[in-house]
Amino acid sequence: MKDTYTTGKKKSIWSFGTKEVVYAAIGAALYAVVTWAFNIWQIPGAGNVGIRPAVVIPMFFGIAFGPIVGFITGFVGNILADMLSGYGFWIWWDLGNGIMGLIPGLFSAMVYKYNETKSIIWGELSVILGAGLGMGLAAISEMWVSGADINTVIFANFLPAFLTNIVWGLILLPILMIAYAAIVQRSGR
Amino acid sequence: MLVAWNYRYRNSPMDHIDPRARFIFSFAILFAATTTWNPNILFAVFVIAITWYSLGRLTWKDTRFGWLMISIMLFTMIVINTIITGGGAGGVVPPGGQLVWPDGVSIFGRHLNIGLTVERLWFAVSQLMRILSISLVFIMIPYTMDSRAYGVTFSKLGLPDRLAYTMELSFRFIPTLARNFQVTLDAQRARGFELDAGKGNIIQKIRQVAPLLIPVTMNAIVSSEDIANAMDLRGFGQRKRTWLYELKFHWWDWAIIAFAVVMLAAVVLLAYHFDMRLFSVPNWWYGLFN
Repeated sequence: MKDTYTTGKKKSIWSFGTKEVVYAAIGAALYAVVTWAFNIWQIPGAGNVGIRPAVVIPMFFGIAFGPIVGFITGFVGNILADMLSGYGFWIWWDLGNGIMGLIPGLFSAMVYKYNETKSIIWGELSVILGAGLGMGLAAISEMWVSGADINTVIFANFLPAFLTNIVWGLILLPILMIAYAAIVQRSGR
Repeated sequence: MLVAWNYRYRNSPMDHIDPRARFIFSFAILFAATTTWNPNILFAVFVIAITWYSLGRLTWKDTRFGWLMISIMLFTMIVINTIITGGGAGGVVPPGGQLVWPDGVSIFGRHLNIGLTVERLWFAVSQLMRILSISLVFIMIPYTMDSRAYGVTFSKLGLPDRLAYTMELSFRFIPTLARNFQVTLDAQRARGFELDAGKGNIIQKIRQVAPLLIPVTMNAIVSSEDIANAMDLRGFGQRKRTWLYELKFHWWDWAIIAFAVVMLAAVVLLAYHFDMRLFSVPNWWYGLFN
Protein backbone atom coordinates (compact mmCIF):
# COMPACT_ATOMS: atom_id res chain seq x y z
CA MET A 1 0.00 0.00 0.00
CA LYS A 2 1.46 3.37 -1.01
CA ASP A 3 0.73 6.52 0.90
CA THR A 4 1.39 8.97 -1.89
CA TYR A 5 1.68 9.03 -5.63
CA THR A 6 5.45 9.28 -5.42
CA THR A 7 7.14 7.94 -2.28
CA GLY A 8 5.95 4.36 -2.23
CA LYS A 9 6.34 4.21 1.59
CA LYS A 10 3.96 2.26 3.77
CA LYS A 11 1.71 4.29 5.99
CA SER A 12 2.18 4.12 9.74
CA ILE A 13 -1.05 5.50 11.17
CA TRP A 14 0.20 5.67 14.78
CA SER A 15 3.33 7.80 14.23
CA PHE A 16 3.33 11.14 16.01
CA GLY A 17 6.38 13.13 14.94
CA THR A 18 6.90 16.84 14.41
CA LYS A 19 4.65 16.99 11.34
CA GLU A 20 1.81 15.28 13.17
CA VAL A 21 2.21 17.69 16.12
CA VAL A 22 1.80 20.63 13.73
CA TYR A 23 -1.07 19.04 11.78
CA ALA A 24 -2.90 18.30 15.03
CA ALA A 25 -2.35 21.83 16.35
CA ILE A 26 -3.43 23.40 13.06
CA GLY A 27 -6.43 21.08 12.86
CA ALA A 28 -7.54 21.88 16.42
CA ALA A 29 -7.14 25.63 15.89
CA LEU A 30 -9.00 25.44 12.57
CA TYR A 31 -11.82 23.40 14.11
CA ALA A 32 -12.12 25.97 16.91
CA VAL A 33 -12.12 29.01 14.62
CA VAL A 34 -14.64 27.60 12.13
CA THR A 35 -16.92 26.29 14.90
CA TRP A 36 -16.81 29.65 16.63
CA ALA A 37 -17.52 31.47 13.37
CA PHE A 38 -20.56 29.29 12.66
CA ASN A 39 -21.99 29.20 16.17
CA ILE A 40 -24.87 31.37 15.03
CA TRP A 41 -26.53 28.19 13.69
CA GLN A 42 -27.39 26.76 17.11
CA ILE A 43 -30.54 24.61 17.06
CA PRO A 44 -32.83 25.88 19.82
CA GLY A 45 -34.30 23.29 22.15
CA ALA A 46 -32.08 20.39 21.17
CA GLY A 47 -29.80 19.91 24.17
CA ASN A 48 -26.53 21.70 23.77
CA VAL A 49 -26.17 20.70 20.15
CA GLY A 50 -25.44 23.07 17.29
CA ILE A 51 -25.22 22.74 13.50
CA ARG A 52 -21.48 22.67 12.96
CA PRO A 53 -20.04 22.49 9.46
CA ALA A 54 -16.63 22.38 11.13
CA VAL A 55 -17.21 18.76 12.26
CA VAL A 56 -15.76 17.69 8.93
CA ILE A 57 -12.36 19.05 10.01
CA PRO A 58 -11.49 16.35 12.61
CA MET A 59 -12.90 13.73 10.23
CA PHE A 60 -10.74 14.97 7.38
CA PHE A 61 -7.60 15.38 9.53
CA GLY A 62 -8.14 11.82 10.77
CA ILE A 63 -8.42 10.43 7.24
CA ALA A 64 -5.43 12.44 5.99
CA PHE A 65 -3.02 12.25 8.94
CA GLY A 66 -4.06 9.33 11.14
CA PRO A 67 -6.04 8.60 14.31
CA ILE A 68 -3.89 10.54 16.79
CA VAL A 69 -4.07 13.74 14.72
CA GLY A 70 -7.80 13.18 14.16
CA PHE A 71 -8.42 12.65 17.87
CA ILE A 72 -6.45 15.72 18.97
CA THR A 73 -8.09 17.86 16.29
CA GLY A 74 -11.54 16.96 17.60
CA PHE A 75 -10.71 16.85 21.31
CA VAL A 76 -8.55 19.97 21.63
CA GLY A 77 -10.48 21.80 18.89
CA ASN A 78 -13.74 21.37 20.78
CA ILE A 79 -12.15 22.59 24.03
CA LEU A 80 -10.83 25.67 22.21
CA ALA A 81 -14.14 26.29 20.42
CA ASP A 82 -16.02 26.17 23.73
CA MET A 83 -13.45 28.50 25.25
CA LEU A 84 -13.85 31.00 22.42
CA SER A 85 -17.63 30.80 22.57
CA GLY A 86 -17.67 30.99 26.38
CA TYR A 87 -19.47 27.64 26.75
CA GLY A 88 -17.24 26.20 29.46
CA PHE A 89 -15.36 22.90 29.60
CA TRP A 90 -17.33 19.70 28.89
CA ILE A 91 -14.87 16.84 28.83
CA TRP A 92 -17.34 14.14 27.69
CA TRP A 93 -18.37 16.16 24.62
CA ASP A 94 -14.69 16.94 23.95
CA LEU A 95 -13.93 13.20 24.04
CA GLY A 96 -16.86 12.53 21.71
CA ASN A 97 -15.49 15.02 19.22
CA GLY A 98 -12.06 13.41 19.56
CA ILE A 99 -13.52 10.00 18.70
CA MET A 100 -15.23 11.56 15.69
CA GLY A 101 -11.71 12.26 14.38
CA LEU A 102 -10.08 9.10 15.69
CA ILE A 103 -12.37 6.64 13.88
CA PRO A 104 -11.74 8.12 10.40
CA GLY A 105 -8.05 8.01 11.36
CA LEU A 106 -8.27 4.24 11.74
CA PHE A 107 -9.43 4.11 8.11
CA SER A 108 -6.52 6.27 6.95
CA ALA A 109 -4.33 3.21 6.28
CA MET A 110 -6.82 2.15 3.61
CA VAL A 111 -6.91 5.57 1.98
CA TYR A 112 -3.89 6.36 -0.17
CA LYS A 113 -5.28 8.06 -3.24
CA TYR A 114 -7.68 10.60 -1.88
CA ASN A 115 -9.66 11.10 -5.09
CA GLU A 116 -10.35 7.42 -5.76
CA THR A 117 -13.93 6.21 -5.42
CA LYS A 118 -12.85 3.40 -3.07
CA SER A 119 -11.05 5.84 -0.77
CA ILE A 120 -14.04 8.17 -0.71
CA ILE A 121 -16.34 5.26 0.21
CA TRP A 122 -14.01 4.34 3.10
CA GLY A 123 -14.06 7.99 4.12
CA GLU A 124 -17.88 8.13 4.06
CA LEU A 125 -18.11 4.95 6.10
CA SER A 126 -15.69 6.37 8.64
CA VAL A 127 -17.85 9.52 8.92
CA ILE A 128 -20.91 7.47 9.87
CA LEU A 129 -19.01 5.27 12.33
CA GLY A 130 -17.06 8.18 13.80
CA ALA A 131 -20.11 10.39 14.30
CA GLY A 132 -22.11 7.44 15.66
CA LEU A 133 -19.50 6.34 18.20
CA GLY A 134 -18.31 9.84 19.12
CA MET A 135 -21.72 11.42 19.60
CA GLY A 136 -23.01 8.16 21.10
CA LEU A 137 -20.35 8.22 23.81
CA ALA A 138 -20.92 11.91 24.53
CA ALA A 139 -24.70 11.51 24.63
CA ILE A 140 -24.62 8.38 26.81
CA SER A 141 -22.35 10.19 29.26
CA GLU A 142 -25.27 12.61 29.80
CA MET A 143 -27.12 9.68 31.44
CA TRP A 144 -24.36 9.51 34.01
CA VAL A 145 -23.93 13.28 34.38
CA SER A 146 -27.48 14.60 34.36
CA GLY A 147 -29.46 11.47 35.14
CA ALA A 148 -31.35 11.60 31.85
CA ASP A 149 -32.94 8.38 30.61
CA ILE A 150 -32.16 6.66 27.33
CA ASN A 151 -35.06 8.29 25.40
CA THR A 152 -33.95 11.77 26.43
CA VAL A 153 -30.38 10.97 25.52
CA ILE A 154 -31.34 9.60 22.10
CA PHE A 155 -33.82 12.31 21.11
CA ALA A 156 -32.35 15.40 22.78
CA ASN A 157 -28.63 14.72 22.51
CA PHE A 158 -27.64 11.90 20.20
CA LEU A 159 -29.91 12.24 17.16
CA PRO A 160 -29.58 16.03 16.62
CA ALA A 161 -25.79 15.80 16.90
CA PHE A 162 -25.41 12.57 14.92
CA LEU A 163 -27.72 13.49 12.04
CA THR A 164 -26.37 16.99 11.47
CA ASN A 165 -22.77 15.78 11.81
CA ILE A 166 -23.12 13.00 9.26
CA VAL A 167 -24.87 15.32 6.80
CA TRP A 168 -21.97 17.79 6.99
CA GLY A 169 -19.39 15.00 6.99
CA LEU A 170 -20.85 12.98 4.12
CA ILE A 171 -21.08 16.01 1.83
CA LEU A 172 -17.96 17.96 2.75
CA LEU A 173 -15.46 15.14 3.36
CA PRO A 174 -15.27 13.97 -0.29
CA ILE A 175 -14.83 17.58 -1.42
CA LEU A 176 -11.96 18.05 1.03
CA MET A 177 -10.41 14.72 0.02
CA ILE A 178 -10.47 15.63 -3.67
CA ALA A 179 -9.02 19.07 -2.95
CA TYR A 180 -6.29 17.47 -0.81
CA ALA A 181 -5.51 14.92 -3.55
CA ALA A 182 -4.68 17.82 -5.86
CA ILE A 183 -2.29 19.25 -3.26
CA VAL A 184 -0.66 15.86 -2.65
CA GLN A 185 -0.18 15.31 -6.37
CA ARG A 186 1.21 18.79 -6.96
CA SER A 187 3.64 18.82 -4.03
CA GLY A 188 4.63 15.13 -4.17
CA ARG A 189 3.91 14.46 -0.47
CA MET B 1 -12.17 38.68 12.37
CA LEU B 2 -10.94 39.45 15.82
CA VAL B 3 -10.51 36.51 18.17
CA ALA B 4 -10.70 37.45 21.81
CA TRP B 5 -10.19 34.99 24.67
CA ASN B 6 -12.73 35.27 27.42
CA TYR B 7 -10.06 35.23 30.12
CA ARG B 8 -8.98 38.41 31.82
CA TYR B 9 -7.10 38.91 35.04
CA ARG B 10 -9.53 39.99 37.78
CA ASN B 11 -7.25 39.60 40.81
CA SER B 12 -9.86 37.23 42.18
CA PRO B 13 -9.03 34.37 44.58
CA MET B 14 -9.40 32.02 41.59
CA ASP B 15 -6.57 33.82 39.78
CA HIS B 16 -4.22 32.74 42.58
CA ILE B 17 -5.14 29.05 42.56
CA ASP B 18 -2.88 26.69 40.64
CA PRO B 19 -4.62 25.35 37.49
CA ARG B 20 -3.74 21.76 38.48
CA ALA B 21 -5.53 22.17 41.80
CA ARG B 22 -8.47 23.70 39.93
CA PHE B 23 -8.82 20.78 37.53
CA ILE B 24 -8.53 18.26 40.39
CA PHE B 25 -11.21 20.13 42.37
CA SER B 26 -13.51 20.43 39.33
CA PHE B 27 -13.32 16.71 38.58
CA ALA B 28 -13.89 15.89 42.26
CA ILE B 29 -17.14 17.93 42.08
CA LEU B 30 -18.11 16.13 38.85
CA PHE B 31 -17.63 12.67 40.41
CA ALA B 32 -19.21 13.68 43.74
CA ALA B 33 -22.31 15.11 42.02
CA THR B 34 -22.76 12.06 39.80
CA THR B 35 -22.28 9.48 42.57
CA THR B 36 -25.61 9.95 44.32
CA TRP B 37 -29.21 11.19 44.06
CA ASN B 38 -29.46 11.75 47.82
CA PRO B 39 -30.94 15.26 48.30
CA ASN B 40 -28.78 16.21 51.29
CA ILE B 41 -25.52 15.23 49.62
CA LEU B 42 -26.51 16.90 46.36
CA PHE B 43 -27.38 20.07 48.24
CA ALA B 44 -24.01 20.05 50.04
CA VAL B 45 -22.16 19.59 46.73
CA PHE B 46 -24.27 22.36 45.18
CA VAL B 47 -23.34 24.79 48.00
CA ILE B 48 -19.63 23.92 47.60
CA ALA B 49 -19.91 24.52 43.82
CA ILE B 50 -21.58 27.94 44.36
CA THR B 51 -18.82 28.90 46.81
CA TRP B 52 -16.18 27.80 44.30
CA TYR B 53 -17.87 29.78 41.51
CA SER B 54 -17.99 32.92 43.68
CA LEU B 55 -14.20 32.78 44.01
CA GLY B 56 -13.95 33.66 40.31
CA ARG B 57 -15.77 37.00 40.75
CA LEU B 58 -17.46 36.58 37.39
CA THR B 59 -20.26 38.86 36.30
CA TRP B 60 -23.43 37.89 34.42
CA LYS B 61 -22.18 39.87 31.43
CA ASP B 62 -19.02 37.74 31.34
CA THR B 63 -20.72 34.36 31.31
CA ARG B 64 -24.14 34.95 29.76
CA PHE B 65 -23.45 32.97 26.56
CA GLY B 66 -22.37 29.94 28.54
CA TRP B 67 -25.43 30.14 30.78
CA LEU B 68 -27.66 30.53 27.73
CA MET B 69 -26.38 27.20 26.41
CA ILE B 70 -26.86 25.56 29.82
CA SER B 71 -30.39 27.00 30.05
CA ILE B 72 -31.30 25.36 26.74
CA MET B 73 -29.90 22.06 28.01
CA LEU B 74 -31.71 22.37 31.36
CA PHE B 75 -34.98 23.30 29.65
CA THR B 76 -34.81 20.26 27.36
CA MET B 77 -33.77 17.83 30.05
CA ILE B 78 -35.77 19.01 33.00
CA VAL B 79 -38.87 20.86 31.84
CA ILE B 80 -39.76 18.79 28.80
CA ASN B 81 -38.35 15.35 29.60
CA THR B 82 -38.73 15.19 33.36
CA ILE B 83 -41.74 17.35 34.18
CA ILE B 84 -43.92 17.28 31.07
CA THR B 85 -43.30 13.82 29.61
CA GLY B 86 -41.78 12.14 32.67
CA GLY B 87 -39.14 10.53 30.47
CA GLY B 88 -36.05 11.85 32.22
CA ALA B 89 -37.17 10.45 35.56
CA GLY B 90 -37.29 6.88 34.27
CA GLY B 91 -35.08 4.42 36.08
CA VAL B 92 -34.36 6.75 39.03
CA VAL B 93 -37.84 7.65 40.29
CA PRO B 94 -39.97 4.61 41.25
CA PRO B 95 -43.26 4.29 39.31
CA GLY B 96 -46.46 5.68 40.82
CA GLY B 97 -46.39 8.36 43.50
CA GLN B 98 -48.49 11.27 44.74
CA LEU B 99 -50.07 13.45 42.03
CA VAL B 100 -49.43 17.20 42.26
CA TRP B 101 -52.96 17.90 40.94
CA PRO B 102 -55.00 14.82 41.95
CA ASP B 103 -58.29 16.43 40.78
CA GLY B 104 -56.83 17.68 37.50
CA VAL B 105 -56.66 21.32 36.36
CA SER B 106 -58.90 23.54 34.28
CA ILE B 107 -57.18 25.44 31.47
CA PHE B 108 -59.29 27.74 29.24
CA GLY B 109 -62.44 25.97 30.44
CA ARG B 110 -61.13 22.49 29.62
CA HIS B 111 -60.47 19.92 32.33
CA LEU B 112 -57.07 18.26 32.06
CA ASN B 113 -55.59 15.36 34.04
CA ILE B 114 -51.86 15.95 34.49
CA GLY B 115 -49.76 12.98 35.57
CA LEU B 116 -47.00 15.03 37.21
CA THR B 117 -46.11 13.56 40.60
CA VAL B 118 -44.52 15.15 43.65
CA GLU B 119 -41.65 12.65 43.31
CA ARG B 120 -40.96 13.64 39.69
CA LEU B 121 -41.02 17.28 40.64
CA TRP B 122 -38.43 16.62 43.35
CA PHE B 123 -36.38 14.67 40.85
CA ALA B 124 -36.36 17.81 38.66
CA VAL B 125 -35.03 19.80 41.64
CA SER B 126 -32.35 17.14 42.27
CA GLN B 127 -31.41 17.12 38.59
CA LEU B 128 -31.19 20.91 38.65
CA MET B 129 -28.83 20.80 41.65
CA ARG B 130 -26.66 18.13 40.03
CA ILE B 131 -26.36 19.81 36.60
CA LEU B 132 -25.85 23.26 38.09
CA SER B 133 -23.12 21.99 40.45
CA ILE B 134 -21.20 20.57 37.49
CA SER B 135 -21.91 23.60 35.27
CA LEU B 136 -20.77 26.07 37.95
CA VAL B 137 -17.30 24.56 38.22
CA PHE B 138 -16.73 23.88 34.52
CA ILE B 139 -18.29 26.95 32.91
CA MET B 140 -15.92 29.28 34.72
CA ILE B 141 -12.73 27.66 33.42
CA PRO B 142 -12.39 29.63 30.13
CA TYR B 143 -13.09 32.91 31.93
CA THR B 144 -10.69 32.42 34.81
CA MET B 145 -7.79 30.40 33.41
CA ASP B 146 -5.03 31.98 31.37
CA SER B 147 -4.75 30.34 27.94
CA ARG B 148 -0.96 30.14 28.43
CA ALA B 149 -1.51 27.77 31.35
CA TYR B 150 -3.26 24.91 29.54
CA GLY B 151 -0.24 23.24 27.90
CA VAL B 152 1.92 23.26 31.00
CA THR B 153 -1.01 22.25 33.23
CA PHE B 154 -1.82 19.15 31.19
CA SER B 155 1.89 18.35 30.91
CA LYS B 156 2.31 18.53 34.70
CA LEU B 157 -0.85 16.45 35.15
CA GLY B 158 0.86 13.65 33.23
CA LEU B 159 -0.03 14.24 29.55
CA PRO B 160 2.93 13.40 27.24
CA ASP B 161 4.98 16.45 26.25
CA ARG B 162 4.16 16.25 22.55
CA LEU B 163 0.44 16.21 23.25
CA ALA B 164 0.69 19.07 25.74
CA TYR B 165 2.77 21.06 23.26
CA THR B 166 0.19 20.40 20.52
CA MET B 167 -2.39 22.04 22.75
CA GLU B 168 -0.07 24.97 23.41
CA LEU B 169 0.65 25.35 19.69
CA SER B 170 -3.02 25.31 18.74
CA PHE B 171 -3.61 28.39 20.94
CA ARG B 172 -0.84 30.11 19.00
CA PHE B 173 -2.47 29.29 15.64
CA ILE B 174 -5.94 30.57 16.45
CA PRO B 175 -5.37 34.29 15.67
CA THR B 176 -3.51 33.39 12.44
CA LEU B 177 -6.23 31.04 11.24
CA ALA B 178 -8.99 33.49 12.20
CA ARG B 179 -7.25 36.11 10.07
CA ASN B 180 -6.91 33.63 7.17
CA PHE B 181 -10.60 32.77 7.55
CA GLN B 182 -11.52 36.46 7.30
CA VAL B 183 -9.20 37.04 4.31
CA THR B 184 -10.72 34.04 2.49
CA LEU B 185 -14.24 35.19 3.34
CA ASP B 186 -13.50 38.68 1.99
CA ALA B 187 -11.90 37.24 -1.17
CA GLN B 188 -14.90 34.98 -1.81
CA ARG B 189 -17.33 37.84 -1.15
CA ALA B 190 -15.47 39.89 -3.76
CA ARG B 191 -16.34 37.06 -6.18
CA GLY B 192 -20.03 37.26 -5.26
CA PHE B 193 -20.07 34.66 -2.46
CA GLU B 194 -22.84 35.10 0.13
CA LEU B 195 -22.93 33.62 3.59
CA ASP B 196 -26.22 34.58 5.11
CA ALA B 197 -27.12 32.62 8.21
CA GLY B 198 -30.69 31.43 8.41
CA LYS B 199 -31.33 31.37 4.66
CA GLY B 200 -32.19 28.14 2.88
CA ASN B 201 -32.36 24.49 3.89
CA ILE B 202 -29.43 22.41 5.10
CA ILE B 203 -28.24 21.47 1.58
CA GLN B 204 -28.19 25.15 0.56
CA LYS B 205 -26.27 25.95 3.74
CA ILE B 206 -23.69 23.29 2.95
CA ARG B 207 -23.33 24.70 -0.55
CA GLN B 208 -22.72 28.10 1.01
CA VAL B 209 -20.05 26.75 3.34
CA ALA B 210 -17.90 24.72 0.91
CA PRO B 211 -16.26 27.66 -0.97
CA LEU B 212 -15.16 29.02 2.40
CA LEU B 213 -14.16 25.87 4.26
CA ILE B 214 -12.12 24.19 1.49
CA PRO B 215 -9.59 27.01 0.79
CA VAL B 216 -9.16 27.77 4.52
CA THR B 217 -8.42 24.10 5.30
CA MET B 218 -6.08 23.55 2.35
CA ASN B 219 -4.22 26.78 3.05
CA ALA B 220 -3.69 25.71 6.67
CA ILE B 221 -2.34 22.30 5.65
CA VAL B 222 0.08 23.76 3.09
CA SER B 223 1.47 26.28 5.60
CA SER B 224 1.90 23.63 8.32
CA GLU B 225 4.63 21.93 6.27
CA ASP B 226 6.92 24.95 6.65
CA ILE B 227 6.22 25.18 10.38
CA ALA B 228 7.08 21.49 10.88
CA ASN B 229 10.33 21.91 8.95
CA ALA B 230 11.27 24.96 11.03
CA MET B 231 10.57 23.02 14.25
CA ASP B 232 12.66 20.07 13.07
CA LEU B 233 15.56 22.39 12.23
CA ARG B 234 15.44 23.69 15.79
CA GLY B 235 15.55 20.16 17.22
CA PHE B 236 11.96 19.84 18.37
CA GLY B 237 11.33 16.80 20.55
CA GLN B 238 15.02 15.94 21.13
CA ARG B 239 14.92 16.73 24.86
CA LYS B 240 12.36 17.09 27.60
CA ARG B 241 10.52 20.34 27.07
CA THR B 242 10.66 23.33 29.40
CA TRP B 243 7.76 25.77 29.66
CA LEU B 244 7.89 29.54 29.65
CA TYR B 245 4.81 29.74 31.86
CA GLU B 246 5.73 28.12 35.17
CA LEU B 247 3.35 26.66 37.71
CA LYS B 248 4.02 26.68 41.43
CA PHE B 249 1.99 25.05 44.19
CA HIS B 250 1.22 27.12 47.29
CA TRP B 251 -0.08 25.87 50.63
CA TRP B 252 -3.66 26.80 49.65
CA ASP B 253 -3.42 24.68 46.49
CA TRP B 254 -2.54 21.64 48.61
CA ALA B 255 -5.41 22.52 50.93
CA ILE B 256 -7.82 22.64 47.96
CA ILE B 257 -6.59 19.29 46.65
CA ALA B 258 -6.89 17.76 50.14
CA PHE B 259 -10.42 19.16 50.49
CA ALA B 260 -11.39 17.78 47.05
CA VAL B 261 -10.06 14.31 47.91
CA VAL B 262 -11.74 14.24 51.35
CA MET B 263 -15.04 15.53 49.89
CA LEU B 264 -15.08 12.88 47.16
CA ALA B 265 -14.11 10.11 49.59
CA ALA B 266 -16.85 11.21 52.01
CA VAL B 267 -19.49 11.22 49.26
CA VAL B 268 -18.45 7.76 48.02
CA LEU B 269 -18.45 6.43 51.61
CA LEU B 270 -21.90 7.87 52.34
CA ALA B 271 -23.29 6.68 49.02
CA TYR B 272 -22.04 3.11 49.07
CA HIS B 273 -21.28 2.23 52.71
CA PHE B 274 -24.20 4.08 54.30
CA ASP B 275 -26.55 3.35 51.39
CA MET B 276 -27.29 7.00 50.56
CA ARG B 277 -26.93 6.58 46.81
CA LEU B 278 -30.54 6.23 45.70
CA PHE B 279 -33.17 8.85 44.96
CA SER B 280 -35.36 9.87 47.90
CA VAL B 281 -37.85 12.67 48.59
CA PRO B 282 -37.62 14.67 51.85
CA ASN B 283 -40.76 14.74 54.00
CA TRP B 284 -41.00 18.54 53.98
CA TRP B 285 -41.41 18.40 50.19
CA TYR B 286 -44.55 16.24 50.52
CA GLY B 287 -45.82 18.76 53.08
CA LEU B 288 -45.82 21.50 50.44
CA PHE B 289 -48.41 19.61 48.36
CA ASN B 290 -50.82 18.54 51.12
